[in-house]
Amino acid sequence: MSDPNGKHDELIHPAARPFLWLDAPWLKSSMIWIFLVATLGLVAVDFFHHRHEYVELAEFYGFYAMWGFGAFVLAVMIGWWVIRGLLGREEDYWDGDSTDEEGQS
Amino acid sequence: MIEALYDVSPAWPVIIAGLLAAAFPMHYVRKGLALIAPVLAVFLWFNAPSGDHLGGIIELGGFTLETFRFDGLSRIWGLIFIIAAFINALYGLHEKDRLADASGLIYAGAGLGAVFAGDLLSLFFFWELTAISSVFLIWGARNNAAYKAGLRYLAIHVLSGVLLLTGAVIRASETGSWAFDETLSIETLGGFLIFIAFGIKCAFPFLHNWLQDAYPKATITGAVVLSAFTTKLAVYALARGYAGTEQLIWIGAVMTAFPVFFAVVENDLRKVLSYSLNNQLGFMVVGIGVGTELAINGAAAHAFVHIIYKALLFMSMGAVLLRVGTVKASELGGLFKSMPATTIFCLIGAASISAFPLFSGFVAKALTLAAVAQEGHWVVWLVLVFASAGVLEHSGIKIPYFAFFSHDRGHRVREAPVNMLMAMGIASLICIYVGINYGVLYELVPFPEAALHYEPYTFDHIVGQMQLLLGAMFAFAFLVRMKWYPDEKRGVNLDTDWVYRRFLANTLNWGHAMFGRLWASITNLVSGVRSRTGGKLFEVFSPIGALSRDIPSGLLAIWTSALLAIVLLIAYLSP
Repeated sequence: MSDPNGKHDELIHPAARPFLWLDAPWLKSSMIWIFLVATLGLVAVDFFHHRHEYVELAEFYGFYAMWGFGAFVLAVMIGWWVIRGLLGREEDYWDGDSTDEEGQS
Repeated sequence: MIEALYDVSPAWPVIIAGLLAAAFPMHYVRKGLALIAPVLAVFLWFNAPSGDHLGGIIELGGFTLETFRFDGLSRIWGLIFIIAAFINALYGLHEKDRLADASGLIYAGAGLGAVFAGDLLSLFFFWELTAISSVFLIWGARNNAAYKAGLRYLAIHVLSGVLLLTGAVIRASETGSWAFDETLSIETLGGFLIFIAFGIKCAFPFLHNWLQDAYPKATITGAVVLSAFTTKLAVYALARGYAGTEQLIWIGAVMTAFPVFFAVVENDLRKVLSYSLNNQLGFMVVGIGVGTELAINGAAAHAFVHIIYKALLFMSMGAVLLRVGTVKASELGGLFKSMPATTIFCLIGAASISAFPLFSGFVAKALTLAAVAQEGHWVVWLVLVFASAGVLEHSGIKIPYFAFFSHDRGHRVREAPVNMLMAMGIASLICIYVGINYGVLYELVPFPEAALHYEPYTFDHIVGQMQLLLGAMFAFAFLVRMKWYPDEKRGVNLDTDWVYRRFLANTLNWGHAMFGRLWASITNLVSGVRSRTGGKLFEVFSPIGALSRDIPSGLLAIWTSALLAIVLLIAYLSP
């Protein structure tokens, strides 16, 4: 273990140093805008080019983007509220001991 | 071509290497065997005659066992099993565990044997061998949870084998056939039992939880090895025997969807991958259910690429487990600073399973989706597109994000061992190579002509797929920004294993306790009756009992006179 925020952390792998910007707060905060612009850009393509699909519904403008967004949100919400809410238990629920849940060789 | 080897299934060198590995204490000999055996197997695979071939026939006890059926379906499954066996051997090169080495090889060989089996008896033999050999990869973790999970795993898989044999015997008694082919049908009792046997191994809904129970508790290498063979063998068996069975379309659709919800909130990243595996099997099962040439190609191509990218993801998490000591998402983050190569390999696996263009999942999954849409199953198609976004959530984003990025937990560990990196590197290369040069894959599938007519890299397909993926990625960023994405926290989520691990176990314990009480009550009752009866008898017949008591002679004389009077009266009155 070492300083998690230390840019001069000597224990960081040399090959990873050029990529430390991946951990920068500005990148994390701007991810939403990067993905939004990219998604809207791809949706815009539909207005200039008609996609031919086997399923007629999928030919609607931006269908895949909307389905992807909706599916993701639905999956997370059902997972969070239904699975964790109703079926979530403490880690030691099964055998009363959580330390050996992970297999190791 | 060596004709003398036409009868030798590629399974045998791998199984024999496993048996030899069990005998050799020197680990470098065992590792040599593990690397050489797949090379010999692939030689036999290439040596097999072109076209459909049936060899390796063994007459035993009046039965004819066909151990080497080489055709369009077994060809692709056999090759990917051999490739997986080699990559797994390379990945586990640093481990010095004789039991794991031997069981891993026998398991891989048994998987190959089952794929090349031409009849149900041969299939049963190898089917059970996969179950018995693979359990040692779970027990190899050598802890209490793994031991119990291994027992449950073994019980469920032996049950699958028993159902397979029972179904085969019933079918043989009805039709006289032991054939393992498309004549199997769920309309008959025998065929239905075999279908359930395959369904257990394929992790059908409600029969699935052995997978998420056992795989995360296996050894680091064990989980990688397990991810390759068992379930894909079941997919192969379904494709061989039940292609076009409509029920599989909906079974598969459910399989693609429900694991997504569990994976979202699962903290153990190897368990997330196990749910993800279940979801991917669903796509293959749907393809088999549709049953057209394009759909079967889709299932076969998906199985091929899935084995590689799923193994790659399990390998990357295994490397994390080896170095950090945990794969709990709540304990991880920022590992790209310590394990950059592992991070890149994991991202390649994530991109492949998410079906990004230029990666293997894109060219394989497209076949199944196109086949489903072509046959007019548009509701199922919508479910599959939903599940595709779900795949991106749990395997494309969650696995790499929480392990390697997210909050830096300050773990500064060494990069994975060289052999692990080499194995991950080979798997990554295959993911990219197949994604770009997809013709290689399409030539391998059971119906190459149908596949070669399909063009995955159309403008429409690329735009549609990128819309789906970026729409889902935007949703992730949006939910995180709004703090509507669930925190990773320690805990477990109940699944169908609750039925047998808690409900049935408690019911059995209660029944045992109740039986104990009942038995004690019966014992008390019997001993009470016995002691009371004994007491009464004692009171009558013992030396101090009633019959031994002195009776006054006067009273006896009165009774004797009375009885004499009655006898005389009867004698007098009688005619």
